[in-house]
Amino acid sequence: MTTLDDPTRFFHRPIVTALAATSAVLTAYVVWLTTRDVSLLRSGRDVFVGADNYTRIFTDPRAVAALWRTVLFTVLATVIEVVLGLAVVLFLDRDFVAKRLVRTLLLVPIIMTPVVVGLTWRFIFDPATGMANYLLSVLHLGPVDWLGSTHVAFFSVLIADVWQWTPFVILLVMAALESAPTDPLDAARVDGAREWQVTWYVLLPMLRRALAVVALIRAIDSIKAFDLFYIMTRGGPALSTETLNYYGYVAAFTNFDISYALTIALVLTVFTNVALLAMYGVLFPKAGDR
Amino acid sequence: MERRILFYAALVVLMVAVLFPLYWIVATSLKAPRDTFTIPPVWLFEPTLDNYRKILANQTFLNAFANSFLTSITSSAIAVAVGCLAAYGLVAQEPAHLRSQEKFILSLRIAPPLLFVIPVYFLASRIGALNQHWLLIAVYAFVNVPFAISLLITFFNDIPRELRDAARVDGAREFTVFRKVFLPAARGGIVATMILCVLFTWNEFFVALMLTGRNTQTLPVSITSFLTFQGIQWGMLTAAGSLIMLPMIVLGLLVQGQIVRGLTLGSVKG
Repeated sequence: MTTLDDPTRFFHRPIVTALAATSAVLTAYVVWLTTRDVSLLRSGRDVFVGADNYTRIFTDPRAVAALWRTVLFTVLATVIEVVLGLAVVLFLDRDFVAKRLVRTLLLVPIIMTPVVVGLTWRFIFDPATGMANYLLSVLHLGPVDWLGSTHVAFFSVLIADVWQWTPFVILLVMAALESAPTDPLDAARVDGAREWQVTWYVLLPMLRRALAVVALIRAIDSIKAFDLFYIMTRGGPALSTETLNYYGYVAAFTNFDISYALTIALVLTVFTNVALLAMYGVLFPKAGDR
Repeated sequence: MERRILFYAALVVLMVAVLFPLYWIVATSLKAPRDTFTIPPVWLFEPTLDNYRKILANQTFLNAFANSFLTSITSSAIAVAVGCLAAYGLVAQEPAHLRSQEKFILSLRIAPPLLFVIPVYFLASRIGALNQHWLLIAVYAFVNVPFAISLLITFFNDIPRELRDAARVDGAREFTVFRKVFLPAARGGIVATMILCVLFTWNEFFVALMLTGRNTQTLPVSITSFLTFQGIQWGMLTAAGSLIMLPMIVLGLLVQGQIVRGLTLGSVKG
């Protein structure tokens, strides 16, 4: 029972209040900075510019292109990882030797340091001496300029991201599958349903919630993806892999254009929240009826 | 029978795809320079520790190792201590209140790091704190606290309420209940939370890239300096990469059951 003099409130209230206050102050400070023209290169020109930074972002072709690239990367990464992950889960859904070992090994990409993952894939994608082109040459294909071509580099980063995060989808959906009741599956089989029908009409609806959660997580993380882009391509070649998050980084730490960089970050945050709400609406229609 | 052989063949292909990059980076780190770039690749080579000798004699790398160690342990310890207090208070609240607080805490993790890193950088550069350890420790603690709270709530919720009520009836003060009953009962969960915080902090790159100076560089930042030298020194680079990730793989496997739980909380809870 929680009463007014319940001493437990002294445990969390100061902490939650401090977190809320810090984020409120930071947000207010950020919004204030975006209405000014703060640059570390042009000191002394810190003047009020109103909504200039916001109009600039939507008329800046580089920012608009980066935004679309972010959308494309997020959609592709999320869809591929969830579909591929689900396929592997269905494939592994049986008893076999070393199942526990497989599960443990699937953790490796997830806990590998992202910078090292980027370096590894950069090494594999090396045009002259990399493993990827060697494998293609064995098949009498290629060579492909994985990271040097404006058409391919974006997809090379996508491959590395899919490699690192599909195992996460697999493990999460696997856990959901194992805690799901098996009775409906057996009932459907007894009723003479074929195996694909059991999977499609009974199993998938049961996994809906887990799939929705994992898709949301992957979407949020993909919007913010940075490490692989920085290590593998630095946004290049010719800006062909520059996402909005990366452009924000460049604006702040290469151009030292603090106000504009923060405007980008704020637009990115709004964009993330809109995407999140939209996905939430699609994935959890009428929350509470299941 | 044929189907089983087919299944295991497919399983092997899957596991090779998952593990090959890890194998490849470790194998390259053990190769002599003449074997590093040979095409077709040499599968059987005479392993050498030369690359490790070179990297372990590199003062910048050793400093970065110390920095990573200091930053991740300290900030995680702060985050877990604060997280325990907050989680203890929160699990005692009404479920509706708990859920709304939890939602707020999780919402803190959705904003892109860029949003708070830039103002922190801007302020820190004005007071000359960019090259000081406390800045990075404070920022990481701030980032880890919401995560630690959400994860610890799930562990504290597993502790039967009767334990707390019984201790209260016996006249124990709230802080005594927290220290003598909850902390021991949730020890496993607290250790797992600590390990996950260390793991995320150790691997973190974005914040470290912007908020570290020459003296505070952590490993992921320091390793990128090998990229810009004349060409890329893959031998040393792969040795450094192996040294960075192997401790985390060991730690990660220790808490393997909690990782998916932790990552799920890390972003959104269903």
